[in-house]
Amino acid sequence: MSVSLEVQKLRLALNRVELIAPMDAWFAPGQMHVLMGPNGAGKSSLLKCLLGLLPFQGKIYRHWQAGAPRTTAYVPQQIAFEATLPLTIQEYLLMQMSSRPFFLRPSASMLTLVEQLLERVGLEGKAQLRLGQLSGGERQRLLFAQALRRPCALWCLDEPMTGLDELGQAHFTQLLQELRDAGHTLIVIHHDQQWIHTYADQVWEIAGGLVGHSVLRPALKPCVPERLNVMQRVGG
Amino acid sequence: MEWIRSWVFYAHELGYLPDMFQYAFLTNALVSALLIGPLLGVLGPLVVVKRLAFFSEAVGHGALTGVALGILLGEPATEPFVTLFAFCVIFALLLHWIKSRTSVPYDALVGVFLSFAIALGAALILFVAKRVNVHILENVLFGSILTVRDLDIWVLLGIAAILTLLLGFKGNRATLSSLSPELAMTQGIAVRLYDYIFVLIIALVTVASVKVVGAILVGALLLIPATAARLMSRNAREFVLYSVLISTLSCVFGILLPMAGALPIPSGAAIVMLASASFIFALAIRRWRAIL
Repeated sequence: MSVSLEVQKLRLALNRVELIAPMDAWFAPGQMHVLMGPNGAGKSSLLKCLLGLLPFQGKIYRHWQAGAPRTTAYVPQQIAFEATLPLTIQEYLLMQMSSRPFFLRPSASMLTLVEQLLERVGLEGKAQLRLGQLSGGERQRLLFAQALRRPCALWCLDEPMTGLDELGQAHFTQLLQELRDAGHTLIVIHHDQQWIHTYADQVWEIAGGLVGHSVLRPALKPCVPERLNVMQRVGG
Repeated sequence: MEWIRSWVFYAHELGYLPDMFQYAFLTNALVSALLIGPLLGVLGPLVVVKRLAFFSEAVGHGALTGVALGILLGEPATEPFVTLFAFCVIFALLLHWIKSRTSVPYDALVGVFLSFAIALGAALILFVAKRVNVHILENVLFGSILTVRDLDIWVLLGIAAILTLLLGFKGNRATLSSLSPELAMTQGIAVRLYDYIFVLIIALVTVASVKVVGAILVGALLLIPATAARLMSRNAREFVLYSVLISTLSCVFGILLPMAGALPIPSGAAIVMLASASFIFALAIRRWRAIL
């Protein structure tokens, strides 16, 4: 149960400046894809195009395999929360997990779910902290938590290791591997050569467009026949 | 409404309520205050998060033009509902639409609209004032408890019902859309639709509150209770609850106190002064907590 991404003649221009020259790509299912390249090369913009967050030219298709949850997880680079906003970690997560208005008292079962989620990302016991009180690493963990709260077949992560301590990096590397091994498709922006060499399946070099592609570990043959895939067009 | 009024009269005759409750308009004003307070109070935190405080100020000023247009077009001067709502809603949607189309900073854009609304409104309302009563200007600007009719209360009740439904089912999604629009979009939330609905609700609530709070001051009642609540609260739950509490108490006592003291103060002014007092109180609480 996974998803592949088909990119046809994708081009991105903002204010008449070309950020991404026309490119084609096929992100195979169940693999860890790493986007790498210098700062300002257009990696984050490409990721946002893949998510349908930016208007682009060309076509992007998601091919959902049968049985895969048609949901996408996004871990952005950073989210700027206003430091003085009175909103706790718990409320921020509950807001996304249930439709019960966040200013009412939450149910006990929901609170347990939140606590379990926070344990998975190493934020246990910090549910009552306000978003403005979090360090850079803690924010990163919270962004992981909000992505982990539901099953997703496609994971897009923009420099997820930023601000994390060594223990945190090891923890989340393991988490990413588990997600990949469960058959999910991951697209990660990352800079660390050593890390990429050890964990990535495919590496896409971006510099104002696609300039290189190497397959470190080829994809396994999908166990579900292609014809059962559901094709969905992204943004555009 | 009739049974509430007769019930209040009855309570007054039995001696449970002070003399001022013999006037029916006071009951009308109080009922509308009990609706306006929670409405503005619950929207306030969202307005503050989205930085839309001056947007509602501009829509409030638009009410001036709306009333004048209504009189020009022959609607009754005390309740020009159709033109008032139509003008303010179009004004709000237009402002929001231009915001999404240009790179002009939002505060500058709101400033332009706000000044234009006052200029047009002032010109039109003084033009029509000769035809009707000059006091209408004072009432529209600063609010008056004498002018609340049953229809106003029904309109408020309708908006309150819509808002309760929206908040109950879609409140979390709307809040997430304003906190982190990109995350909301990846979760399949129609962020722009929520934006427009929110702007529409703000416009409706603002216009519906103009009679009691006044065109000049209605924006303040969205801003001040929420800002005061933000200073005092440690989580979003307290934020919303305190905001509703401050807004409602300000509305109710802003109507009762001038009546009780027989002071010729417009209701809007009294309400906003009370809200401002609560803001100073909130500052003090925060200071006190920091010392402890």
